[in-house]
Amino acid sequence: MTHVPAAAPGPQGRFPGFAVLRQAPRWDGVTALAIRSRVAPPATPRFFTAAEQATARALVGQLLDQPHDGLGVPVMEMIDARLAGGQTDGWRYEDMPEDGQAWRDTLANLDTDAKERFGAGFAACARREQAAIVQAVQDLGSRDWHGLLAGQVWSLWTRYACTALYAHPAAWDEIGFPGPAYPRGYKNIGVDAREPFEVRDTRPAQDPVRERL
Amino acid sequence: MRAGVRTRNESAWLLPNDGTRTNHRLRRDMRRFRDDDEVDLVIVGCGAGGSVLAQRLARAGWRVVAMDAGPFWDPDTDWVSDEAGSHDLYWTDPRVITGDDPVPLGSNNSGRGVGGSMVHYAGYTPRFHPSDFSTLRDDGVGADWPFGYEELRSYYAAIEQELPVAGEYWPWGDPHGYPHRPHPVGGNGELFLRGAERLGIEARVGPVAIANGRFGNRPHCIYRGFCLQGCKVNAKASPLITHIPDALAHGAEVRADAMVTRVGMDERTGRATGVHYVRDGASRFQRAAMVAIAGYSIETPRLLLNSASPRYPDGLCNEFDQVGRYLMVQGAPQTAGRFDAEVRMYKAPPPEVSTEEFYETDPAKDYKRGFAVQTVSPLPITWAEHVAAQGHWGRALRDYMSDYVHWACLGSLCEFLPLGGNRVTLADETDSYGLPVARFAYSQCDNDRALVTAAQHVMEDILTAAGADEVITIRRYAHLVGGARMAKDARHGVVDGTCRAFAVPNLYITDGSVLPTQGSANPALTIMAVAARAADQLISGARGRVG
Repeated sequence: MTHVPAAAPGPQGRFPGFAVLRQAPRWDGVTALAIRSRVAPPATPRFFTAAEQATARALVGQLLDQPHDGLGVPVMEMIDARLAGGQTDGWRYEDMPEDGQAWRDTLANLDTDAKERFGAGFAACARREQAAIVQAVQDLGSRDWHGLLAGQVWSLWTRYACTALYAHPAAWDEIGFPGPAYPRGYKNIGVDAREPFEVRDTRPAQDPVRERL
Repeated sequence: MRAGVRTRNESAWLLPNDGTRTNHRLRRDMRRFRDDDEVDLVIVGCGAGGSVLAQRLARAGWRVVAMDAGPFWDPDTDWVSDEAGSHDLYWTDPRVITGDDPVPLGSNNSGRGVGGSMVHYAGYTPRFHPSDFSTLRDDGVGADWPFGYEELRSYYAAIEQELPVAGEYWPWGDPHGYPHRPHPVGGNGELFLRGAERLGIEARVGPVAIANGRFGNRPHCIYRGFCLQGCKVNAKASPLITHIPDALAHGAEVRADAMVTRVGMDERTGRATGVHYVRDGASRFQRAAMVAIAGYSIETPRLLLNSASPRYPDGLCNEFDQVGRYLMVQGAPQTAGRFDAEVRMYKAPPPEVSTEEFYETDPAKDYKRGFAVQTVSPLPITWAEHVAAQGHWGRALRDYMSDYVHWACLGSLCEFLPLGGNRVTLADETDSYGLPVARFAYSQCDNDRALVTAAQHVMEDILTAAGADEVITIRRYAHLVGGARMAKDARHGVVDGTCRAFAVPNLYITDGSVLPTQGSANPALTIMAVAARAADQLISGARGRVG
């Protein structure tokens, strides 16, 4: 049996035909504007240098299995826009610099690791080499990575990456989430209850947990 | 009963009934005070505590200015039905976290703007239990309040009518009913109820501060699921719609976008003279006969510490090194269960069903105090955090995320104990106003950790009993209280039982930072009830206005 990735896009995915943006005419004006600007072509990066952009793109490509997902969500550019605008989460770990500097430092550290292990910058490494470097950072857990706690670095990366991807309607299509719901609301709530615009999961037993056991 | 509410708080009837959410005329015609006009009271912060105080005292004829660092929200134009787009609801100025168990701030527990954190709280409004007021006497842990539950009972009931709160009859703590019937539940609540029933655990629908049916000009909930992003419907209660309109109608001024930087003091008399604040880039000073700080558990201690002066070198009210201490968060592990059926937990409000079966100290356990279990229903970004916390990344993360509609999710609130080392101090770093930012240190004790583990097991059991084939947990935190607590004397706290500062006779603190313990209850209702009680005492005694 051919394994179809659960998160395959479009007709390959679990929610064929589901397209959140088709509901946009039913959203309130300010929400629709916010989502439309999010799906517009991204602004040219203002925060990352050209070299940092390449490293950051490769890193989020690893963390989120991009870009061959076909969704085209510009995660690196979305992170850059946040950092350029100083839009932080409202806290930082005492042992970490503020978020922008922490991104710059950790991207540089990835390059250092890549050169040491594979003789090339992180972005120039093969995907499996990049994956090995990323896995090594995660495996450090609460231990030191270039003077920072690896777990806090991991928190920074995954927070920014996931916040960007799962803010995007293309990612909502993939997971069956209908996005904005005002002023429409929901009328059919409860287990296995769907609205007319929601699409049933075609592979309800494709439980990633069960498959990994 | 509703008519009775209207005679003492007309807020819900002062909102428009034409499908828009803000009474612009009320705001435009709002009374405005000059900086050099000594008002009766200036309040710092328009959240749960500050707004209730403003409404009560304005009704009693006091001349009140209530400031907030953030905007005077209009739900129609300022809020979106979207997770990432709601970033401005949170306090995102820089803060530093540290300790053995650093606690993230921002979206997790810190609001900004008129309405405070209640703009983005889930909406759960349980009462504290009577036992929460004497944990030191009865359990040998925590602290005792200067007053007991009986003192708050009538204020709880009054606020429950004003929000209003919907839910089933509540059998725990001091048993009581609610003014609005319970809401219908979505998939997440249905599975919680099913699992609990199979295990013989009592669970109830509610208590949530979401109108079930029209309330004044506030419409019925539309089960949209975006409670944590600000309610564009005006169905979920926040002070922006439950207390501020009535305060304005009775002559209070709400001065938004005004960041208070320090409390003004007369160094000779030791009395507060008003507040220094920054608005539109200009430094100003509002004179006041009395000051009430209601900036919540991080900003209230920070303001006191930043108000240091020659007479108060270690910060205001800090002679005994109490400011910022005994700050508490609740351990809030979140456990999700996977079902082949579609749960679609994003539909219906995240707050649906609770149990307080495990709230009280159980002599059979090796820990004191307890926890509550409630539905929580994370939207995709927050859910991704839960999944990523399992260590998944890359393809595994994406596959897990594609499974979103099949997961139900419960959250616990564990009563972490008040510890002196868990506190706010000032960091070396400064913010855009040039003020030192808050540094918040947190470390758990053994009792805290034991509660989190016990709560996680109960949630796993409930979800498994409901039919889940796998459960995954993320350990996180919720809420803030303490940091300027009530006590019997200045050596043990910052304010007395009436919320008056021990050190400054015309300075009050009326927010969550005064709470000596937190129970396993979401704190909003109790913060409001404590502020309402303090307001009553001010009105009857008018202390601080004279002498």
